[in-house]
Amino acid sequence: MGSELIEACNIKKRYQMGEVTVHALRGVDFTLYDGELVVILGHSGSGKSTLVNIVGGMDQASEGELYFRDRPLHNASENELTAYRRSEVGFIFQFYNLMPNLTAYENVHLAVQIATDPLDVDPLLEQVGLIDRKEHFPSQLSGGEQQRVAIARALAKNPRLLLCDEPTGSLDLPAGKQILKLLRDFCSHYNKAVVIITHNTNISYMADRVIHLKDGLVEGVKENSEPLSPEKVSW
Amino acid sequence: MLFRKMYRDIWSNKGSYLACLVLVVLGLTTYTSFSISSDNLELSKEIFYREQNFADGFAELTAMPYRDAEGLAQIEGIDQVSGRVTREVRVLYPESDIGIYLKFVSLELDNPDRVNDARLLEGNELRQGEFEVWVDNQFYDVHGLELGYVLEILAGEKAREITVEGYAMSPEFTYPLRTEAEIYPNPEQFGIAFTSRETMWNFFPDLQGRVNNLAFTLEEGTDFDEVKDRLEPELEAYGLINLYSRDNQTSHLILSEEIAQLQRMAFAVPLMFLVIAALILYIMLKRLVEQQRGQIGILKAFGYSNREIMLHYLTYSITVGFIGGLLGGTAGIYLSRPLNWLLLEFFHVPEIDVDFSLYYFVLGVLISLGIFLAAGYQGCKYALKLKPAEAMRPPAPVSGRKTVLEKIRLFSSMLTIQGKMAVRNLARNRSRTAFLFIGVTLSCAVVVVTWSLNDLVDKLVFYRFEEVEVYHARVNFTEPVSRQPVERELAEHAEVTGVEPLAEVPVRLSHAWREESVVLLGILKDSSMYIIRDAAGRRIEPSEQGIILSERLAEKLSVEEGTSLKLASPYLRDNEDEQTVEVYRVIPQYLGMNAYMEITGVEAILQQGKFATSFMVNVGDERINPGNAEDYWDTNDFREKDLVRANIAGLRDYYRESDLVAGVDGTEEQIRETRELMETFGMVIYLYVLIGVVIAFSIIYSSSFIILSERNRELASMKVLGMTSREVFSVITFEQWFISFFAVLAGLPLAQAMMEGFSRELSTDLYTIPAELSAQALLMGALITAISIWIAQRFALRKVERLDLVEVLKTRE
Ligand SMILES: Nc1ncnc2c1ncn2[C@@H]1O[C@H](COP(=O)(O)OP(=O)(O)OP(=O)(O)O)[C@@H](O)[C@H]1O
Ligand SMILES: [Mg+2]
Repeated sequence: MGSELIEACNIKKRYQMGEVTVHALRGVDFTLYDGELVVILGHSGSGKSTLVNIVGGMDQASEGELYFRDRPLHNASENELTAYRRSEVGFIFQFYNLMPNLTAYENVHLAVQIATDPLDVDPLLEQVGLIDRKEHFPSQLSGGEQQRVAIARALAKNPRLLLCDEPTGSLDLPAGKQILKLLRDFCSHYNKAVVIITHNTNISYMADRVIHLKDGLVEGVKENSEPLSPEKVSW
Repeated sequence: MLFRKMYRDIWSNKGSYLACLVLVVLGLTTYTSFSISSDNLELSKEIFYREQNFADGFAELTAMPYRDAEGLAQIEGIDQVSGRVTREVRVLYPESDIGIYLKFVSLELDNPDRVNDARLLEGNELRQGEFEVWVDNQFYDVHGLELGYVLEILAGEKAREITVEGYAMSPEFTYPLRTEAEIYPNPEQFGIAFTSRETMWNFFPDLQGRVNNLAFTLEEGTDFDEVKDRLEPELEAYGLINLYSRDNQTSHLILSEEIAQLQRMAFAVPLMFLVIAALILYIMLKRLVEQQRGQIGILKAFGYSNREIMLHYLTYSITVGFIGGLLGGTAGIYLSRPLNWLLLEFFHVPEIDVDFSLYYFVLGVLISLGIFLAAGYQGCKYALKLKPAEAMRPPAPVSGRKTVLEKIRLFSSMLTIQGKMAVRNLARNRSRTAFLFIGVTLSCAVVVVTWSLNDLVDKLVFYRFEEVEVYHARVNFTEPVSRQPVERELAEHAEVTGVEPLAEVPVRLSHAWREESVVLLGILKDSSMYIIRDAAGRRIEPSEQGIILSERLAEKLSVEEGTSLKLASPYLRDNEDEQTVEVYRVIPQYLGMNAYMEITGVEAILQQGKFATSFMVNVGDERINPGNAEDYWDTNDFREKDLVRANIAGLRDYYRESDLVAGVDGTEEQIRETRELMETFGMVIYLYVLIGVVIAFSIIYSSSFIILSERNRELASMKVLGMTSREVFSVITFEQWFISFFAVLAGLPLAQAMMEGFSRELSTDLYTIPAELSAQALLMGALITAISIWIAQRFALRKVERLDLVEVLKTRE
């Protein structure tokens, strides 16, 4: 097991909606190590996205402590969080979120521009199998292809941590598998941490570790001694 | 429920709606206030003219027996004639150190139905032959006169005393200028005095039983030009100097021009504001409808009718139009009062008590509602076309495309990725790009034109003292004097360091059927006090044979250099004779309209001996010359200034009792007076600059907001990637600066065109406005526009900083 990357203690997140307080996270403890692939599993509304957004520095917890390699994030300023996202974190969403008026190449390049130690764009596009589509705009690509561009974009910054919120949520099985394989490869080859959010139990079989969330609490953590290869996953 | 939805929609975009509202309010404020004021002034003028029986035509003559003048009423087309005696006299205020003049005009006291009457505002009727006057009300106020005050004047070779019996206004002197070289009336130094004809004859025995000025009315439906043809031959024998219609009467001309200008402003300025506000609203509504197509689909699926949905979206624009209309109308009514008051300060017109406010208030609200309904309908008619099922599907994805510009390698390689996004976005939203472009162009042009006009007014006024007439003072004579002896006498004064003569001769120049009456100035060939200059500012020596004309005069006579003109003048030895003279040069002249010649040339043409009508003198220690005049007048050398002042006062004192000297005018006093008067006008400039700023600001502000709401997903994604708010925002600002750069460039030719329009519209015989943009104005235009863009962007940046990443990215597009 690699060295400790993220350490979260007793993370709570509350949303105040007028009179009502929604407790999205009620005290989550969570550790993440270099080079591991973690799946966060839970029903809709269990707080998965909320947790990952906090870990990725997109949002801040209402309570609790969060460390990135001993660097405290729970009291970081807006600028520090931006710097953290900029150099350490890659995000992948269900809805790709590419820039509609930039080509595949340019979308990836956008990330390269701001990173401190970026990877080259062309090999990345090669890796995701889209090198011959690099001059195409998102509207000319399929959903799976767009998601692969999004992965290339997230990887281009060479982040230590890749956070994926339902990356296969709107894809069919073969396209989804392709994505999962890319994530697994990135994790293994570069020894980076990858977190995948899903409510699909089947995907959890490929994880090194599975964290179950329920009603804003960790219900259980399961270690897979023999993670399944993404090709063998099916649903 | 839908109302609550509208309320929230507006609230979440309050910035843009506010910008819109501000524009509507400003537009309607100008509309109501300017309309009310111009109508008020126009009506006041009409009533004043009618009640005082304002003349339709005027004639200046050397002298004509009063009986003959009365007989002119027999001429076909002429209704009534008033033969008048007019003369300018100097007021002898013991304590005053500046030259103060009153233009005396005789009134027809014996005629119950007086032509061109003055209206007594307060005081007693004048009596025939008594030493009593009415003075114009501004002169009365400025000099703090009281009824019964005894004025001492220098009239007809003698110091006289005359009692102020009242103060009055006349339609002939609503804007009294002493000479054509002035732009503003200056009641400190010049006023009008009305008295009886007998009194004038008593003062000026040389005119006993005669008149030197006619005012006449025309019979209903008669054309002035026809009457002129009949009248002119009758007057020739009496030394006709100038015969002109009411349209060419100075006060009437300026007052009418001012009213026309107010009316144009009341139309153009609000139109500009309202159109821009309507465009912003149109774009916002269009955007809102596109964004809410899902909601519209659901509403339609519920069973809401097209009409109800339409009405819902139209409520947005009706709300803005209505609130803006009410606020603007109210503000306009309040503003019209000080505006009216200001106008009546400048124009001597009695105030009338009519209230146009309600009419323009209602009209303003209706216009605003109309424009916004149209804009609103255009903006949301798209909602009607949507079928419910179609509406609930997301819109076709935005397709990226490379722009033509990017095909140019060099350009493309210069752009960052953000730059490329910006350029492509601009190409995608053509209409919005056009809106941004037009708005910035307009605001830049408004600022440039305003600034240029400001510079020009300055030039108009001070060019004369800094480049043309460079001397300390001018000694004016009541009649032509023999040149050399007077020059010698003046030179003998210890304080006088330089003297030059000036001959001012009223002449009538004609070419073919065109004819103009102007003053011909005779100047020394190598004068160092009166410098004639060409368009480039180079000195031109006056010729002894040829005549130099101002551009406007040459244009009106339709002549050019080398053309021969006919010249007639009451100063001609045989004043029924005509002389031929060739046009030597044509020069620009901003103020007034004159002709120039070398002084001995003037004497030769008139077949007169050596004469002059005034002398320019220098009385300081330091030499003032064309090269240093500007610095000279600006200097803080108080010793020199005091010396000059003291010397002028000395000259004045010396000639106080002289019957020949009409007065001594100090140049510095004139500069000072003019500067004070000009300060009031500076405010107008700021108003216009504000208009430019508001336009640029609201356009950039609302365009930023639209881009933000439309592309918040893209922008949030960039923030997630780890870009700072500034980096993200730079995509938007790049777009705006890119367009603004070209828009400002386009603003310059637009400003030039507007300036040429202004020049054509505003130039009169009294002043010429050159269509020149100053470099400083160009710079200020670009700078002020850029600053307002920058500030508007700072406001929008705050919105990017507050962009909620989690929220934006959670939902599907
Ligand atoms: N901005 C918000 N305001 C109020 N409540 C919120 C907000 N965001 C999330 N919540 C609440 O927090 C809880 C957790 O939300 P979260 O998005 O983390 O769920 P999730 O596990 O990702 O669900 P899903 O699988 O449906 O995406 C939910 O009950 C949700 O209603
Ligand atoms: Mg979620």
